[in-house]
Amino acid sequence: MTESTLFTLAFVLYAGALIVYFAGLFARREKWAGGGLGLAAIGFCGHTAALVLRTASSGHAPFTNMFESLSFLSWAVVLALIIFGRKTRVPQLAPYLMLIVVALVALASSPLMPKGAAPLVPALQSYWLWLHVSVTLLGEAFFAVAFVAGLLYLAADTEEKKARLDALAYRAVAVGFPLFTLGGLVFGMVWAYRAWGRYWAWDPKEVWSLITWFVFALYLHTRIVMGWKGKRSAIVAIVGFLAALFTYFGVNYLLAGLHSYA
Amino acid sequence: MRPVVKFFSSVKLAIALIILITLASILGTLIPQGRSAAEYAARYGSLAGLFTSLQLVRLYQSAWYLTLLLLFALNIAVCTAARVGAKWRRAFGPPAPADPQALAAMKVRSRFRLALPLAAARDRVAGPLRSSGYRLAEAAPSKNTTLLARKRRLGWFGSDVVHLGLLIILAGGLTSGLGGRRADLALLEGQTADVPRASFQVRLDKFETEFYPQGGVKAWKSTVTVVENGAPVLTRVVEVNHPLSYRGFSFYQTSYGSDWDAAKVELLVKKAADPSFSRAVSLKTGDRVALDDPDVSHVAVRRFVPDLVIGEGSKVQSRSREPNNPAALVEAWKGEERVFSGWVFAKYPDFGQGHGAAKSPVSFVLKGYAAASFSVLEAAKDPGANLIWLGCLFVTAGLFLAFYWPPREVRVVLEEAQGKVEVTASGQAPKGREAFEAEFNEIFDSVRRPA
Repeated sequence: MTESTLFTLAFVLYAGALIVYFAGLFARREKWAGGGLGLAAIGFCGHTAALVLRTASSGHAPFTNMFESLSFLSWAVVLALIIFGRKTRVPQLAPYLMLIVVALVALASSPLMPKGAAPLVPALQSYWLWLHVSVTLLGEAFFAVAFVAGLLYLAADTEEKKARLDALAYRAVAVGFPLFTLGGLVFGMVWAYRAWGRYWAWDPKEVWSLITWFVFALYLHTRIVMGWKGKRSAIVAIVGFLAALFTYFGVNYLLAGLHSYA
Repeated sequence: MRPVVKFFSSVKLAIALIILITLASILGTLIPQGRSAAEYAARYGSLAGLFTSLQLVRLYQSAWYLTLLLLFALNIAVCTAARVGAKWRRAFGPPAPADPQALAAMKVRSRFRLALPLAAARDRVAGPLRSSGYRLAEAAPSKNTTLLARKRRLGWFGSDVVHLGLLIILAGGLTSGLGGRRADLALLEGQTADVPRASFQVRLDKFETEFYPQGGVKAWKSTVTVVENGAPVLTRVVEVNHPLSYRGFSFYQTSYGSDWDAAKVELLVKKAADPSFSRAVSLKTGDRVALDDPDVSHVAVRRFVPDLVIGEGSKVQSRSREPNNPAALVEAWKGEERVFSGWVFAKYPDFGQGHGAAKSPVSFVLKGYAAASFSVLEAAKDPGANLIWLGCLFVTAGLFLAFYWPPREVRVVLEEAQGKVEVTASGQAPKGREAFEAEFNEIFDSVRRPA
């Protein structure tokens, strides 16, 4: 199978998982979530194979343009779903997280995204491409979990559900924040120093990743030191993921800078 | 002094500063930074002056932004210092006698009796705790015996290590800003340049651009030799992502180009009176050569432009460094009399716009042009970089300590009562309580019922 067939297959399976998840949620059949997870997991395997094939044929890391990085980000969110979705007793998490995955894959599949694998420009020819992008996007995938948990918190009706969602958002940030710090900021600085000769140039993408980092630092400090929980924490987590999204998309399309790859 | 310390040890101040720095940083991404005054005037009109005086156009280097960062650094330092002592005592200090009633009221707890003498009961409790990795300490003797068991004690200091790392990073940034030196060295092949503030020179031996078969640049490669006291020391290929480091300086491939100002030009001389006449002449921009011809005694190329456009005020300028519209400003003389002066275009050979070109007895064709390529290397000395890496190491290590190395502590009080020992234990873990509870229960199950 070719890479694009596998990618399409993953898309179809993710969409199937989405339908099964939501059907189970609305029909109150908790067992259907297992079916959703199964479809998502098979889709994930196909998606993994697509990423491997793309790496093999292009000879470089599969995240050098918007299509590739969207594909990888959606892969990472499915990974976060598989890691978090089973342990947590929040039935709404997986369906809504899958909604984000399907939205990302649909965006990647849109005709607006060029899908060709172009040879790497000199600035991207570095093993730091692997480290910087993969760890950053993995961290952002866990921020997506915190985002969904935050939104669900705002919509939740019982205290028990709220407590679970609050704890879930915190656990997701606890995984995502170190990864984002390491991949986005530390690896980014090391690579910038090697490629551009300066570890920090106040480029809009750099500044926005710092802003994202500050929002999650705020989440942790208000929570751990000042005892914020619940609604206010949920809002900070939501804002944090939106800042991460803006760093990822918005900066490329709205603000000009050095970091013009993806 | 006290009120100042109190002010800076507040977490609320930290939160206010984080919010302020975030908002200021956002502003700096909305206003393009470090552009020319004319660009700001065109973009913002009357607001441009205000933006400039508030330093919004160099926001991240402005006094007020740096003041915010300095306050943030003070805040981090004081906050951390104010809390680290208590943490240190909690992690490493001697235990105090505990009250069994208070322990029994905790969330994670266990209470039972052992039909053993005190010393044996203490050993019974200590064994499983030790084998689970806890370090034991005993409080000074009092009415009861209190044992404090602790593990992963470094976990208490995760946030402190992160904060220390941030301070080191800020210090590194300050060091880079004050002591950093950068200079662009544009070198033609074979050319040697002094590195500013260094005792050595660099020579560009070769510069080449490699392309992919399907097009697109694969690499810019500068072969560079370091020359010290007139002798070559080492030769390396400098590429993007592969800088050369030597004596605290790093050399980065930052740009490249063709030296069009010194282009070599090949002209064909034509005569109006004799259409079959054509004579090739090669010369460098700036040169004047003798032709030994009765109608044209000398020719000169005054200027060469690779991509000619007419800019503001009818000024000739180059739109780019690519030869999209190459043109040479040529002059010709017959003895003392100037017989030609005008731009000659490679792509528009008939476009005679020279001074009196229509009447001129000679005309020119720009047949060929070539320029030596040059490479631009950035020579950078960044004394703050190593501090930055050290700070990054601390921040990363601290985060992993804070999130993945949660400390655990167990307090046990042993009370002698009627020949038996009443054991009251309780445990605390700031994070990962479920896993801790499971471990706690397993430990005290095996204390009660040894295998």
